Amino acid sequence: MIGPPRNALTRRDVLRATLLGALAATGAGCSAVGAGLLDTGPAPGTLAYWNLFGGGDGVRMQQMEDSYRAANQAIDLQAVTLAWGNPYYTKLALATVGDRPPDVAVSHLTRMKTLAAGNLLQELEPEDLARHGMTAGNFNRRAWEAGLVDGKAYAIPIDTHPFVLFYNTEICAEAGLLDATGKLSPIKGADQFVDALTKAKQVTGRYGATHGINSDTASPWRLFQTLYAQLGGEVLADEGTRVVLDDDKTKQVLDFLRLLTVEKGLMPGSVDYQGAIALFATGAAGFHLNGEWEISTFQAAKTPFSMTLVPNIFGGDYAVQADSHCLVLPVRPDQDRARLDLALGFVRSMLDQSRTWAEGGHVPAWQPFARSEAYRQLTPQSEYAAAADAAVYDPPGWYSGSGSNFENVMGGAVGAVEAGGMSATAAIAQIRSKLSHLASTAPPA
Amino acid sequence: MASVETTIPEPTRVTSPERPPTRAKREAQPRGHGRPALLFLAPFLALYLLFIVGPALYGLVMSFFDTSMVTSGFGQFAGLDNYAEALTSSDFWAALWHTIWFTILTTPPLIVLALVFALLAERASRARWFFRLAFFLPYILPSAVVALIWVWMYTPALGLLSRTMTALGLAEPNWLGDPDLAMVSLAITTVWWTLGFNFVLYLAGLQDIPRDLYEASAIDGAGPWQQIRMITLPLLARTTSLVVVLQIIASMKVFDQMYIMTQGGPNFATRSLLQYVFDVGFTDFRTGYAAAASTLFFVVVLAVSTGWLVMTRRQEPEL
Amino acid sequence: MATLTFETRALTTAEARRNVASADRRTRIFNRCCTGVLVAFALLWLVPLAWAVDTALKPNGETTNPTWAIENPTLASFRTLLAEGDILNWYAASFFTSSLVAVGTVVTASLAAYALSRMRFRHRLLAFWFILIGIMIPNQVLIVPRFRELASVNLLNTYWAVIVPQIPLAIAVFVFKQFFDGIPKDLDEAARIDGAGFFRTYRQIVLPLARPAVSAVAIFSFVWTWNDLLWPLLALSNPNIMTIPVGLATVQGTYGIRYADTMASAILGALPLVLVFLLFQRRIVEGIAGTGLKG
Repeated sequence: MIGPPRNALTRRDVLRATLLGALAATGAGCSAVGAGLLDTGPAPGTLAYWNLFGGGDGVRMQQMEDSYRAANQAIDLQAVTLAWGNPYYTKLALATVGDRPPDVAVSHLTRMKTLAAGNLLQELEPEDLARHGMTAGNFNRRAWEAGLVDGKAYAIPIDTHPFVLFYNTEICAEAGLLDATGKLSPIKGADQFVDALTKAKQVTGRYGATHGINSDTASPWRLFQTLYAQLGGEVLADEGTRVVLDDDKTKQVLDFLRLLTVEKGLMPGSVDYQGAIALFATGAAGFHLNGEWEISTFQAAKTPFSMTLVPNIFGGDYAVQADSHCLVLPVRPDQDRARLDLALGFVRSMLDQSRTWAEGGHVPAWQPFARSEAYRQLTPQSEYAAAADAAVYDPPGWYSGSGSNFENVMGGAVGAVEAGGMSATAAIAQIRSKLSHLASTAPPA
Repeated sequence: MASVETTIPEPTRVTSPERPPTRAKREAQPRGHGRPALLFLAPFLALYLLFIVGPALYGLVMSFFDTSMVTSGFGQFAGLDNYAEALTSSDFWAALWHTIWFTILTTPPLIVLALVFALLAERASRARWFFRLAFFLPYILPSAVVALIWVWMYTPALGLLSRTMTALGLAEPNWLGDPDLAMVSLAITTVWWTLGFNFVLYLAGLQDIPRDLYEASAIDGAGPWQQIRMITLPLLARTTSLVVVLQIIASMKVFDQMYIMTQGGPNFATRSLLQYVFDVGFTDFRTGYAAAASTLFFVVVLAVSTGWLVMTRRQEPEL
Repeated sequence: MATLTFETRALTTAEARRNVASADRRTRIFNRCCTGVLVAFALLWLVPLAWAVDTALKPNGETTNPTWAIENPTLASFRTLLAEGDILNWYAASFFTSSLVAVGTVVTASLAAYALSRMRFRHRLLAFWFILIGIMIPNQVLIVPRFRELASVNLLNTYWAVIVPQIPLAIAVFVFKQFFDGIPKDLDEAARIDGAGFFRTYRQIVLPLARPAVSAVAIFSFVWTWNDLLWPLLALSNPNIMTIPVGLATVQGTYGIRYADTMASAILGALPLVLVFLLFQRRIVEGIAGTGLKG
């Protein structure tokens, strides 16, 4: 039995509950309730903007939003930061399918293509862009071209964020690896790289270099892709429907990574992302391989460090793994010229603040700033600017891109080889079987 | 889903609808109440058909097509391909295993601890409201709140749990970052969060045990331990079987904790079946395939509850 | 059910008295130990909540102090959150959707249950089983088709997308039917003889007698809707109309690591339900005990 009647909901209870509710509703104000009831659509003069930046990037993005607000007081900028990675892209897609997308959203260039293929993004017409001073020539060529789908633009790149080499200036000085100006002497080829790591290891007594391996599939993939692309290798073709992994080249790269970790102990084969950072920050390793965004972390930790390009190990055309943040305009039912111009005006404002963004380590895609003296003065950020021109993006495919299934498959296998848990041959077999499964699945968009 | 079972026998006045009505009543009630019955049932049935039965059938049909989230229509007919893919996908099986592993980790402590706490509370003469507050309050908190609090508890170096371990001179575990430990950490959080529900069910079960049984056993010289062993536990069997089945089903449906606290990581080590459905359906846009995975999930839940029902029926015919 | 076996030998009165006295003593000591152990556990259970409150009352910069002591207690985190305003919108969304679901569920389920309990019509048993099947279908299984369904009628991103699908709660029909079956039929049959229609009998006789069922169903559908994450996460994308769990789970503070703010948002998110719990504590607990309702 549920309870004797004396315990039933009495009038007094209902009254109390109502009071409580009334309190809540009054406190909350009614504008949001109206929107939830009637789906009135965004008020004119508001601009909804979604991004996924936390940490140092988040702080800088906040500054950029604030300065946009200061310059455009008539516009109500509603900036929302959502949880990074898949949850963000899921929410963006859901909002667009549900007809209530933000006006402008951040995306990774490599994830943008899947969104575009699903007809979730507006095509950006050259004349509309030109109205706001945005022409192809004003962007880093590689980033711009990587953002085209069938020759049409769907995204405005704001940066390139390459995989880079961090080095501890004190350790490298002691190991005799710096040149007269205090910069890292150029490292060319596998032997010189091994040599540099060996010397650094002799100084630290622990490791030559670190990068995240355990429960981090992105870092192993980024390193692998950098070296593999330097050999001219490709993994996927025809929009991800064909696996074109080159076994010999893959084995060459994997064997080299295994040499660094398992055989020579120059890099720890079992360390997670945070651990790899901590080892470098505390001087237990002379080098660190990671995305440039960790610059803020090491600045905050007061590590004596600088940054440069990941060396060309295999002597082919220089290549380095990278992705770009870009701004996209999701498809919306109520799009008109005024909304479009509002959105593009915001995009332009973000580009104009490329300096703030570049301080966080990202290589600016906006050429008026990238070519400026101000950027050249910005060190160590400008030291690896060349990476943007040698950037290799994740191959197109519905399951590819930053944080995707593809990176998990690749990074998982590469990480297992580096940890000594898997042979190169076994890793290749695993990659092949998992990728061909994904490649044979019909793209959902 | 919600599950129900009455734990306390109700003094039901059994009036069979087939009982022949008296003459007077026959005049008042026409033979059938077809029209008013339809009116009374209509609001519920309409919504029920639209939002439960309809989607269930829609999902079943969709599972045979390559339906995509971002295009309209069913897409290409896929036959049993989606099912074949799920059943041969290591990700699907891994997610199923994570769900089962989570159930194994959470169910025994949630039942044993709840029972122990209820037995202890039964013996405490005062401050029962305090126990109810302490154990039950977490249960009514939204999962997001629980997740925020526990992520902070688990934060490396700064979190309360991490510090306690360090203070005890133990190595600080990487609670949510270690693939082997993450699920255990989620299980600890879940036990803290939902224990109160089982606790209350057990308290109610305890109150149903007639006092005089205890008094009679006291006369026979039985101590507290014997009383618990000989009287309390056997008489709680019914409650226990209810708690077990509700608990297993609730654990199988786990999503919130993983989604917020680990996003299924590290390296997918805590991705539950429901999150797998969410990922393939709404992140990869593969709606048809997600519908097939949902159907398989449904079959698993159904199998578990039916299996449990059959087992308990066999043991206790009167249930 | 297991059978109990007791010694059947007749006890002398003296023996019995001695037994009872010693059992009493043992029981009292035992009970005191039990209370002690349980108090320890209950305090342990409250630690995470206390820690959350403790953290929220510190300034953000001091949250990394490894102590419980709050050197500079402040409500700054709460003020920041309330000033940002998101959480007030989320309150409104949660309150609005949960209340309407609770009302809708009580009305539709009790009407249906009344028909099943009191009326004779063809296919009554079929209707009953048809609804009972719904208890076996977890809501979570339906997210994919439901999302497409609501997208096709343009209801996503409104409160209605959260409210309407959660109203048909098969379990509630079951709870009501069981309760109605326990109410003597003489009462409403007498009323019907006096000429009252079905609706008046339902409204004025049966429903008032079923208050415990009404409050259990109302409270539970309210709490479940308030706490639900998965479905509103899919249905609501506009941060202004998100419910509290969705808002807390998706929208991030932009300023990096601010534990005091995070804990303050957790506390604010929990507050309304804690109040509901304190007000209706006994009814919630009895509702669970009586029906075994579990989300």
